[in-house]
Amino acid sequence: MSFGHEHHGEAGGHHGHHGPRSLPATFEAPEIVSAWRTRALIVAAVAIVFTIPFAFSHEGKNHILRAYLMGYMICFSFAGGGLAMLMLQYVSGGKWGLIMRRPLEAMSRTIGLVALLFVPIIFFWKHLYQWAAFPTAGAVAQALSNHAVTLEQAMTLNAKRAMLNPTAAIVQTIAIFALLWLFQFLLNKWSLERDADPERNTERSYDRWRIRFENLSGPGILLYVILLTDGAIVWIKSLDITWYSSIWGLQFLVGQGYAVLALGILTLILLSRYEPIKTMLRTTEQHDLGKFAFAFTMLNIYLTFAEFLIIWSGNVPDEIPWYLNRIHGGWWVVCSADFAFHWLIPFCLLLSRDLKRNKKKMIWLTCWMLFARCVDMFWLIEPNFSDAAGNLHITNNIGILAYITVPVAVIALWVAYYLTQLKARPLINLNDPHVEELLEPEHAH
Amino acid sequence: MPPREGIYGLLAEFNTPSELVQATEAARHAGYRRMECYTPYPVEEAAEALHFHKNRVPLLCLLGGVMGVTTSFLMETWINVWAYPLNIAGRPLFSWPAFIIPAYEWTILFAGLSAAFGMIALNGLPQLYHPVFNAPSFRDGATTDKFFLCLEAVDPKFSLTETRAFLEQFPTVSVVEVDH
Repeated sequence: MSFGHEHHGEAGGHHGHHGPRSLPATFEAPEIVSAWRTRALIVAAVAIVFTIPFAFSHEGKNHILRAYLMGYMICFSFAGGGLAMLMLQYVSGGKWGLIMRRPLEAMSRTIGLVALLFVPIIFFWKHLYQWAAFPTAGAVAQALSNHAVTLEQAMTLNAKRAMLNPTAAIVQTIAIFALLWLFQFLLNKWSLERDADPERNTERSYDRWRIRFENLSGPGILLYVILLTDGAIVWIKSLDITWYSSIWGLQFLVGQGYAVLALGILTLILLSRYEPIKTMLRTTEQHDLGKFAFAFTMLNIYLTFAEFLIIWSGNVPDEIPWYLNRIHGGWWVVCSADFAFHWLIPFCLLLSRDLKRNKKKMIWLTCWMLFARCVDMFWLIEPNFSDAAGNLHITNNIGILAYITVPVAVIALWVAYYLTQLKARPLINLNDPHVEELLEPEHAH
Repeated sequence: MPPREGIYGLLAEFNTPSELVQATEAARHAGYRRMECYTPYPVEEAAEALHFHKNRVPLLCLLGGVMGVTTSFLMETWINVWAYPLNIAGRPLFSWPAFIIPAYEWTILFAGLSAAFGMIALNGLPQLYHPVFNAPSFRDGATTDKFFLCLEAVDPKFSLTETRAFLEQFPTVSVVEVDH
């Protein structure tokens, strides 16, 4: 960026492509977004229809419930992760953040829907969590005598009851959603006020809003990490009551960053076929976002592998079964696929500069990355249950296919709501000094 | 190598990067290919105007990385399985998860070194002599505030008179002949 742009003005008319481009006439989302939303709803309806046959058997019902939890957690990744990324771009600044701000805001505004999505889980959670099935010391003692839980599970259930019991879980969930809702409410509200500022496009206005957003976002990121760690423990990790891992929250955080970037890049590239994003999304910013996604791909495998390496080295009976359940009995295939889908393929492809700058290829890659998140979530959730631990099978277990249909339905519903939110606002936050920079000519990095 | 004689090229001096970029684009459009821009700091547009984008540094970097990962992984396998087998907590001798971290570090080290030294080598460095330093204007301005375009004499389109006339139509500070 060291190139003095002031010289371009003197350069004269016959090299017009060196000068800044003009602002698009409208910043409203293109009409096509409504068509996408209709398509998402159709996908959701079809996926629900395909789910119905699974609802007629006991194992099918169980799998629908687990798959629903997976769909919920992916949607939470987008809503919560979107909010975290929104706060991150406020504190870090940069043109990549401006171009992605409105899609991120739209993701964060879906937090209410995601909170609603959790409600059905409360009604059925005694089929998911042992702490919900046996909420008192008496129930645990009885379950132990019936061999419904092992001795270790019984002791851990009692030891962790302060945090993991139905009331505490509801309180924690409400606290998480209430705080996240408050942060997204303020950020979204201020974002509109910023555009409506009577002093807009002056240094004073830029500085005032920048500082205001920074001051909320900085503490917000810290708070989000704490809330997410708690949520990930209560909703997912406690499916296996005996397991401990201190990196669990961070791993979810990075996974969310991975998913949010993939979805954000996908949204921007699809929108870039139409105004206003057609003018505003330069190859430079697409390239930057690609590099960012590459960093998350690397960080994700780094944390996942570090967790595995530490537990593998320790080889302690408290921890190692968690991995054995996810490697033995056919799970090796899913485990390897998770590694290849999540890291190997995106890593090798994102190394390429040309691919990161190519719109069509990035569409395929970001879709692939979102699919990889789902494979990872499946690998995290399903082996927690005794019928699946170290025993991946489909014979007499056809309901496991609900892991395809149910998350598709839940995510498609979420996407429809996300697109509604995306349509609700102009696609660029205009009272920002970066708007002018986005109109400047491209730089080859 | 016999000493080269005669003219190396014509060196045009500009005050601003955009004048340089315009002249470079025009020269490329006019059919010149053997040319080079010299600027005191990286000017991406100049590289673009020269159509100078693809080089072999990424390939060298990749080869270095692959070399690093194979060397390290095979070395650790050899040490742990054949050269100095140790029973560590009853694990198999070929315990590959433990080899990953060093292999990863070697990948980065080798890739980084090959990228840096490969870049230097592909740039033709170290180079003790370059003809453009014969031009006094270049010695004075190339590292401070002047921007240079050199059209080289090896270009088939190069002609001392016509090329000079071509360069002088731009707002140059000077156009000088550079000898080998």
